[in-house]
Amino acid sequence: MKHFFIDKYSEVKSPIRNLDARAKVIIFFALILLCVTTPPKAFLVFGGYYLILVTILIISRIPFVFILKRTAVAIPFIIMIAAFIPFIEGGAGGSYNLWGVTLYQRGVLILFNVTVKALFGVAAVTLLVSTTPFDELMEGLKKLGVPKVFITIASFMYRYIFVVVDEVMRMKRARDSRNFEGKWIWQAGAIGHMVATLFLRSYERGERVYSAMLSRGYDGEVKSLSEHSISQKDIMLTIFIVSTAILLHLSYVFVKLFAGG
Amino acid sequence: MHIPDGFLDAKTLATTAAISAAAVGYGLKKANEELGDKQVPLLGVTAAFIFAAQMLNFPVAGGTSGHFLGAFLAAVLLGPWLSCLTISVVLFVQMLIFADGGLLALGANVFNMGVIGGILAYYIFMAIKSSLPKTRFGFLGAVAVTSWLSVVIASAACALELALSGTSPLNIALPAMVGVHTLIGIGEAIITTVVVGVVINVRPDLVKIYGQEGISGTKTAGGVVGGQ
Repeated sequence: MKHFFIDKYSEVKSPIRNLDARAKVIIFFALILLCVTTPPKAFLVFGGYYLILVTILIISRIPFVFILKRTAVAIPFIIMIAAFIPFIEGGAGGSYNLWGVTLYQRGVLILFNVTVKALFGVAAVTLLVSTTPFDELMEGLKKLGVPKVFITIASFMYRYIFVVVDEVMRMKRARDSRNFEGKWIWQAGAIGHMVATLFLRSYERGERVYSAMLSRGYDGEVKSLSEHSISQKDIMLTIFIVSTAILLHLSYVFVKLFAGG
Repeated sequence: MHIPDGFLDAKTLATTAAISAAAVGYGLKKANEELGDKQVPLLGVTAAFIFAAQMLNFPVAGGTSGHFLGAFLAAVLLGPWLSCLTISVVLFVQMLIFADGGLLALGANVFNMGVIGGILAYYIFMAIKSSLPKTRFGFLGAVAVTSWLSVVIASAACALELALSGTSPLNIALPAMVGVHTLIGIGEAIITTVVVGVVINVRPDLVKIYGQEGISGTKTAGGVVGGQ
């Protein structure tokens, strides 16, 4: 059965792959947080963040095209929500005239701001997940204080996504081979029956899984075999990358201060 | 499709994240108290179900299609707080493996889908249900109206957040978002109503709020438990 591209490159050996999951979570979270809180006009600072990300990408040996493709998922939302904004009149700043179309500076800046940040966020999360197997990531998040129950539910979900998605694919194939065309909204009723069946199958599978686990000694605690300890080197690298990003973030304020603007 | 990073400003992110964290925290407490370790695998599989159900597209109009969201369905099946918890896990995993929705915007997405589309919709549902006759028809009618409404108010919340962040003006974002979701909501209502109707027939013990009312003709919970 065809599955997406989950965990596709998470076994590619590289220094980034070997980094402790906690260190990676902190690094990428800090990068995204700093990027999102940077003022829209700090063009060079954004360039700096992207440079850090590309450097990590090169070291991680994840194919560039893969990250680009995954990053493209943010584009439809940007187009839907923000693409029209440069054409709205008003706000401070002037306007540009491009082949007879008037673009307003304030709107162009908003569009630039959301695009640069949204793409950065998606690329950073993709890079984090591509260099960290899911179970290691969950283990790292648990050690960083994300509630145990939350992590356990997420791990179970991840385990059963493949099973349930296979189920959906089979049902879809069965439906389509019985001439479902799906042209009209009232045909959503057929999908309702599929969802109902899917729910009952999934829920009862959940009950069976629980019984099976219970009979094998499950006591509410999921034990992990992987033993990861964060090394001195990991901590140093985390501090180095995060402080570089913070300096970058502050540099805009300094430049503004000294330039008097 | 969920809000990526960069569309919301710091104050909107912080406010929605705080509300969502409180709601999910309460859901975690409920999960520990009420269900013990039993429900943890069950909630995980249910989360996988919601994720998979969202892959089913339904036609809307003019060749476009919407997909099932399932926030209110989860609230009917699991109760408001556990549904919010489950939805938050779904959004969390979607954010990680499909880069759908931003890391920092996770709080806002949980707020729209879990808190507004789940918890708030649940209490609206209780109000609508109490004003309708206590029959199967009345119950499913309330399900239909609320599931439509849950999609519309969730999209309105999203438009409001975008406007408050200064990303897109309210007078454009609100009609556009709500307009599209008025249509998507119809598909959501049809699907949710059919699902709840089928589940009431097959496993009435799973729809606790239906059994509680003592609706005429209801099989008592636990009477028809199958498939263990």
